[in-house]
Amino acid sequence: MLRDTIEQVLLKVQKPAQYIGGELGSIVKDRDGVDLRFAFCFPDTYDVGMSHLGMKILYGLLNERPDIWCERVFAPWVDMEEQMRENHIPLYALESLDPVADFDIVGFTLQYELSFTNILNMLDLAGIPVLAAQRGDSLAPLIVAGGPCACNPEPLADFIDLFLLGEGEELNLELCDLYLACKKEGVGKGEFLRRAAQIEGVYVPSLYQVQYKEDGTVERVTPREGAPATVRKRIVREMSSAYFPANFVVPFTDIVHDRAMVEVLRGCIRGCRFCQAGFIYRPLREKDPGVIDAQAKALCKNTGYDEVSLTSLSTSDLTTLEGLLDEMLTWTEDEKVSLSLPSLRVDNFSKELVDRITSVRKSGLTFAPEAGTQRLRDAINKNVTQGEIDRTCALAFENGYTGVKLYFMIGLPTETMEDVEGIVETAQGVVDLYYKTKEHAKGKGVQVSVSTACFVPKPFTPFQFEPQDTMEQLAQKQERMRAVLRSKKIKLSCHDTQVSFIEGVFARGDRRLGKAILRAWESGCTFDGWSERFSYERWMAAFAGAGLDPAFYANRRRSYDEVLPWDHLDYGVSKAFLVRENQLAHQSVATPHCRQHCSGCGANKLLGGPCFGNDANNTPVV
Amino acid sequence: METMQTIRLWFKKEGLAKYISHLDLVRCMARALKRSGLPVWYTQGFNPHIYLTFALPLSLGQESECEIMQFRLVEELPLNEVKDRLNAALPTGLQVLAAALPQQDLQAIAAADYRVTLEGTPGLAGRFMAFAQQPQIKTLKRSKKGPKEVDIRPLVLACGGEEGEGGRALLSLRLAAGGQQNLNPALLIEAYCAQSGEAVKTASIRRTALYDGAGAPFC
Repeated sequence: MLRDTIEQVLLKVQKPAQYIGGELGSIVKDRDGVDLRFAFCFPDTYDVGMSHLGMKILYGLLNERPDIWCERVFAPWVDMEEQMRENHIPLYALESLDPVADFDIVGFTLQYELSFTNILNMLDLAGIPVLAAQRGDSLAPLIVAGGPCACNPEPLADFIDLFLLGEGEELNLELCDLYLACKKEGVGKGEFLRRAAQIEGVYVPSLYQVQYKEDGTVERVTPREGAPATVRKRIVREMSSAYFPANFVVPFTDIVHDRAMVEVLRGCIRGCRFCQAGFIYRPLREKDPGVIDAQAKALCKNTGYDEVSLTSLSTSDLTTLEGLLDEMLTWTEDEKVSLSLPSLRVDNFSKELVDRITSVRKSGLTFAPEAGTQRLRDAINKNVTQGEIDRTCALAFENGYTGVKLYFMIGLPTETMEDVEGIVETAQGVVDLYYKTKEHAKGKGVQVSVSTACFVPKPFTPFQFEPQDTMEQLAQKQERMRAVLRSKKIKLSCHDTQVSFIEGVFARGDRRLGKAILRAWESGCTFDGWSERFSYERWMAAFAGAGLDPAFYANRRRSYDEVLPWDHLDYGVSKAFLVRENQLAHQSVATPHCRQHCSGCGANKLLGGPCFGNDANNTPVV
Repeated sequence: METMQTIRLWFKKEGLAKYISHLDLVRCMARALKRSGLPVWYTQGFNPHIYLTFALPLSLGQESECEIMQFRLVEELPLNEVKDRLNAALPTGLQVLAAALPQQDLQAIAAADYRVTLEGTPGLAGRFMAFAQQPQIKTLKRSKKGPKEVDIRPLVLACGGEEGEGGRALLSLRLAAGGQQNLNPALLIEAYCAQSGEAVKTASIRRTALYDGAGAPFC
């Protein structure tokens, strides 16, 4: 039994409880009583992966099926990996402690480009060849991947058998059904993949041939063996009737987001031009407030959590939010449950909203103006004005808040040094405002935390054509902010430019980059998103060894008519729309949000009709 | 005024639950109480939370059949109901043995029994007992001011044992426990290894009983 061997090493590693399962809400089935075993792999640590709502949804969904057993697998941290390799413990799933290599389907969720080497490492720890071409024709284990980074899966094409595009609720079950049929029939992996490619939303990279031009850009992508020329992502049309778990696995150890979470809407109406999620999750679909309330109540009851978070890309855009909060407060206060609303927007943050949140628990306030000047905010379509930032902060200070976190980005397209200095000026404005607000907390100072990320251009956004700032340019901008910073009340933190550069390479990379990922992993790269593990030198050596220039991917401007490595994937938004939005960005012209006016992004075709009923303003223009 | 009832729970922590750290255990118990729906009392402060008290934090990796946790109920309930409802909400490895009304104060705990299994070379039990009966056992104890050399012999109240198969030693230890004087069995084993130079592996440590200053079972 693997359990005994695992137990022998557990007390030698940090936070052993994360490696042995047994948490409340984890689902244990009889291994002989199921037909399909699914290992849901999160290529990062337990505390990161266990915070992820998508995993909880798919875990619950698959386990509803009596013939399927879905288990959780996370990347063991370095200390545990060392113990596992030393003691010949293969990668195992937390529910059964059975080796991952014995599963039918091994599925990875792709949340972040810098977790790619962890996928290779997990396959290797499982004893599964990392290269798809070396895995032979037996059906199991089938290696699949989905999640936001699957919108440009090309860098992982060498390692993954098939990608699942879009939302997994329906797609995963259809894939499992095909797998069950093929398993019964005794067909091999090759034939299975040919059949799977016919399911809408399934992308089998080995069925597409990529040809390159002399300048290194893509010439054309040609499907083979009946695979469709474009693969369209899947969506759930109706959120209120979509599956949502009534229970979560409740961890023993402290994780990043340790609370009940209910997704209140999917998609986003805002169209911030830098934000990939704002485009790839379109169109907007809201959940009925009655359903949200019932799901929140059930989750709190079943898990024992004392905090519930209403999550989405922009929760204050939920049209029914105020009524929903009133309804929820009728029970949350009695049950000592606190409500948290992440991702609030500055422009519709009302006095009523502050009152409702603070009536239960006062946590920190976080806003994301993203850019330091109005000109640049217009260019990136972050439709927030200085007046709105001031009004919101004043409101917060009157209500006793003494700290505000502000999120910005540097390296945005069209950005000048004036825009960069504007970040510090905006923060200084908030500090000044605190002391001007008479009702601010007595005898207390203010703390404004400014966090600046380095912008990374992403596929399926209007900025997919833009060069990423070089590391030198980003460093100069960080320098400038530090130079103009005067106040001790402002705490400035800047992201690592090297990490952002690597992220930029893979975000818009093609399948030739697989060689670099393989080399980087072979040279010891894992957990690249963790600063203590990231090695820029190893990555540079990997690119050099693979004969690739990372700047070609990160820092090059693409023409509008270049064939992009992900052009054969259809996420709803049309390339013509992205070009229009890119042009508007260069004119610093904002685009109204979807409820004000439909800009014809094309995502409504996934719904088969307009996004918001038949309101004249909102009917698609193209 | 609400009637308030303080409940003393005796519970087991064993199997996989031994990997739950003390801090995580506190959170886990608070959630279990919430799931149980028992009318527990919350602190009245800014962030109301369940008022929970634990007697002796157990080290990671050790098991116990005599853990104590206390909380208050805002209405009186049959003790068996408290036990059953909480048991229904607990994960595997944690089990309520009894719900009781406190008789002695938690401060009265003075000693604890441990059952320890060590793996070493034949004769280990005898050598360990001789070690524990020396006049003095000097060892480095971690304190806030850094490691300090102390004599832990007075904290060893009893040490019995027998030989197991294949160089195993099955020990029964009674050690000082509580707020005043406390000796973790792991430290005694460490001291033995340091003095003897033997490579001894701890297979299991299990706390089995608590006593007051007079040597009577704590209740």
